[in-house]
Amino acid sequence: MSIKKHLAETLTLIAAAVLCALIANALARSERRLKLPGDYPNALQVPAAAAATPAPAVVTPVPSAVPIATPSTAAPTAVAATAARPAPTAAARPAPPKPDLSRFAPHKDKAYVELHGDDVAALFAGGALFVDARRSQAYREGHVPGARGMSPWEADVDEKVTQLVNEGRDMQQPVVVYCTGGDCEDSHMLSQKLWGVGFENVYVYKDGWPDWQKRGGRVERGQ
Amino acid sequence: MAAALPKIVDPPAFAHMIYNYRLLPGPLVNLAALVLPWIELLGGLALVLGLWRRSATALIGALLLLFIGGISLNLLRGNSIDCGCFDVSAAGKTREERLADMRFVVLRDVGMLLLVAQSLWATRRDEPEPAGLAAPAPVG
Repeated sequence: MSIKKHLAETLTLIAAAVLCALIANALARSERRLKLPGDYPNALQVPAAAAATPAPAVVTPVPSAVPIATPSTAAPTAVAATAARPAPTAAARPAPPKPDLSRFAPHKDKAYVELHGDDVAALFAGGALFVDARRSQAYREGHVPGARGMSPWEADVDEKVTQLVNEGRDMQQPVVVYCTGGDCEDSHMLSQKLWGVGFENVYVYKDGWPDWQKRGGRVERGQ
Repeated sequence: MAAALPKIVDPPAFAHMIYNYRLLPGPLVNLAALVLPWIELLGGLALVLGLWRRSATALIGALLLLFIGGISLNLLRGNSIDCGCFDVSAAGKTREERLADMRFVVLRDVGMLLLVAQSLWATRRDEPEPAGLAAPAPVG
C-alpha cells in the first residue's frame, strides 16, 4: 500500500526528470547539447596515470622545449616513434621557406602519436591542419591560428568531422589535435575519431594550449 | 537544487565529469548527464514544496548513496577526479588536491545522508509530518 504509493511517486519524479532532460536537450544550442547515446569507447578504462606517478607518458622522444614566439622553420628534432621514414615526394613543395614535414610520416596503424612543442611548431610552420578539441567557448576565446574547433563533448562533433572529411583533404597530411594539456584527454578522444574516419597522420599536442601560450605562439580569437 | 543548476546549464561539462568517474559504459554517459541533474532538481523542488516528501527524500538519499559509492570507488583505485558536485568546470587542481577534495566530499555526503535518514525516520508514520520536523536540504 504505502510502499506502492511511494514507488509510484518516485517513478513519477524520475519520469518527469527524464522528460525535462530530453526536452531541454532538444532545445539546447549545439555546444550545450549532448547526443544520445554517447560515444566514448574508453569510458570504463581507468587512466594509467591514476595509480602511478603523474609523469607524462609521451610516445615521441623530444628534446627540451624551445620558445616559438613566431612559429619558425627550426630544424625538426625528432621522428615519431612509430613512423617510418617517408618517401621524399611530399617534401618537394614550391613554397620556399616551409620546413620539411616529411619526417611526420603517416602511421595508419596507430590512431595518434603524441608530440611536444618543438615538433608542433614545425608542423604549424609547415601548414599542417590544427584541430582544437576544447569546448567552443574556450575556442572562441583564443586558439591556434587557423585551427578548427570541434569538442568531442558537443553534439555536433560528428557533423564537423564529416565536414572535414568532405572537404576532400589528403588524409595522409599531418593533423595536430590539442586541448588543455596535462591530463586532458579530449585531444586523444578526437584523434581517435579522426583516425576512425580515415585520417592516417594524426598527432596529439601533448602539452596543448597552455604550452602554446607559454611559448608565445600566435593566438586567433573568435569563430 | 543549487547543485543541479550548473549541470543543467552545461550538460557536456557534466558528461565529462561523469566520464571521468569511469563507472558507466560510454553509451550511458550522456543519458546520465542529462537526467541526473533533473532528478536532483525535481527531488529538491518536491522537498521545498512539501510534495511527496518521503519519496523525494528517499530519492535524494539514493542519489547520495550513488555519489558516495562512485567517489569512494575512485578513491580506492587512485583515480583523482573533480567530483562535479556543485561546479562542472575543471578546477585545474593537482592529483593530491583532487584526492583530498574527494575525501571531503565523501564525508560531507555521508553527513547529508544521515540527515536524510533522520528525516525518513521522523516521518515514518504519517505522510504529513508533525510540526517541527523539517526535511533536509536538497543536495548534490
